[in-house]
Amino acid sequence: MALQEALEPFLAAYASHNPMPVARFLDPIPPPQDPGRLYDFWRASSEDKILADVRYALQNGMPNRTSFDEVQGWVDIIACYWRAVDRILKAEQAQNQSKLSEKQMVDVYDAWKDLTSNFIKYISNGNLPHWTVFTLYFTANNLRKFAIKADEQLAKAKPVAFSAGFQDDIVDTNAKNEKLEEAARVFNRIYALCVGDRNPDMMSSRKWGVYCIANLQFKTYFKLKAISLSKNVVKSIDAQSDLPPFELYPASHRVTYKYYVGVLSFLQEDYAKAEAALMEAWNTCHAQSVRNKELILTYLVPCRLITQHNIPSAQLLNEYPHVRRLFGDLVSSIRKGDLSGFDKALAAGEPEFVRRRVFLTLERSRDIALRNLLRKVYLAEGYEDMKAGQTEKDRVRKSRIPISHFAAAFRMGTAGAGSGQAIDDDEVECLLANMIYKGLMKGYISRDHGIVVVNKKGAFPGTGV
Amino acid sequence: MSASAQGSTATTKAVVDDKNKNGETDKDKKPAAQLEEDDEFEDFPIEDWTEEDTQIPGGTTHLWEESWDDDDTNEDFAVQLKEELKKLGHGK
Repeated sequence: MALQEALEPFLAAYASHNPMPVARFLDPIPPPQDPGRLYDFWRASSEDKILADVRYALQNGMPNRTSFDEVQGWVDIIACYWRAVDRILKAEQAQNQSKLSEKQMVDVYDAWKDLTSNFIKYISNGNLPHWTVFTLYFTANNLRKFAIKADEQLAKAKPVAFSAGFQDDIVDTNAKNEKLEEAARVFNRIYALCVGDRNPDMMSSRKWGVYCIANLQFKTYFKLKAISLSKNVVKSIDAQSDLPPFELYPASHRVTYKYYVGVLSFLQEDYAKAEAALMEAWNTCHAQSVRNKELILTYLVPCRLITQHNIPSAQLLNEYPHVRRLFGDLVSSIRKGDLSGFDKALAAGEPEFVRRRVFLTLERSRDIALRNLLRKVYLAEGYEDMKAGQTEKDRVRKSRIPISHFAAAFRMGTAGAGSGQAIDDDEVECLLANMIYKGLMKGYISRDHGIVVVNKKGAFPGTGV
Repeated sequence: MSASAQGSTATTKAVVDDKNKNGETDKDKKPAAQLEEDDEFEDFPIEDWTEEDTQIPGGTTHLWEESWDDDDTNEDFAVQLKEELKKLGHGK
């Protein structure tokens, strides 16, 4: 196959003025229906002929009205792509022979970075049409993946052990994320390219690329554990006064952006904001994207525990078995007011909860388990005797409950599985005072009588009694 | 201490990952498996969709449990608790 023929898919994609087909042409992974695509493309030229070959093919193949500068841009971009394919095929070959070296993954990364940089250069020169910024997004996303792979290979080649002790943002990752950090700087340039577009015609503005590039930055910074840099992205976007309306952006951009804003707010313990963002991500997420829905729930469930004292419904957990595996035991302990069950579930899940950064939030939901235990005591106390004229309907629950009754429930609730934990009345009183202070229970403690007098109308707000 | 422990886990993981890679031919599978480890939000296969695409036919819209009550009365703990409280009497 001659290169001219190999470039026909590009010319057809370009003619559609649609960023996706062009991105598919520049894909580093061959499509399933044509696994030999990269190899065929590579074989159509060679290192010393590629520039001339592409120039010849594009000068003849691109529409006549295409400017000289634009043709030049595509010539460079496609030649860069050919070189990247060359490195990719070599790395693949080495991998098949189990001889992949870190040098080869770095070569792939470098070649892909070259491609990305050329793309940026020609877009910022104004030589390429505005919609190519989305094609650039796909290219940049692949740069991120190659950077991660290169870093993994580098880490394997020379394990570095001096990172211990540094926990501050990027410092910890100095040694093992060199390429991804470099890629992050490339993404900054792309972000600036989008946000700084002065074109007054919104329809052909690069500002439409702002959110998808921001999402790329989030993914990168999360991987680098540089959360504060992610916050800067949000701040920068919030400060833009002339972006197109958010709801007009493609759904994939919006869902991903809201997910990361939600997680960031969650990490800053702004649970109300986190809940709003995560709910929006949930409602907009594509139904088939199960993994992403699970990720949203990973933060939405703990968030909701704090903001509304709500637990996920059984139906929801059944629909998302991964989420059930994660939170199921904890949720059923909360539901039952089973404190020792709660402590056990929290301890059992701790490594994963910590890794997902939800541990501290979940820990706070013990209050709800406690509230439910106290509520059970209230229910078990039953009703006051009926007065004349009263009916079953308007019977009143007993509102004066001995502290010793709550203490008995604590002994039962925490004694499970041989813990044999005893709590004295003073401690119980303290816990009750805390519940009342937090508004989870309404009433007051009468120390002299050793009783709690609970509010007759809504002793446990939001729970139906 | 903990940082160095984490470091060694990461190295082990990387080695394991590598073995998987060598055995696998399908390129697409590799990043997916890694991302699962990472909590990374996945790239959507399509760019845009409508509201209809966000609903699973027959899927639940009932996200949160609304009542704390449904099994209160005959649940073991509630029964035991009532017994226990009876023993204590209503010492007001």
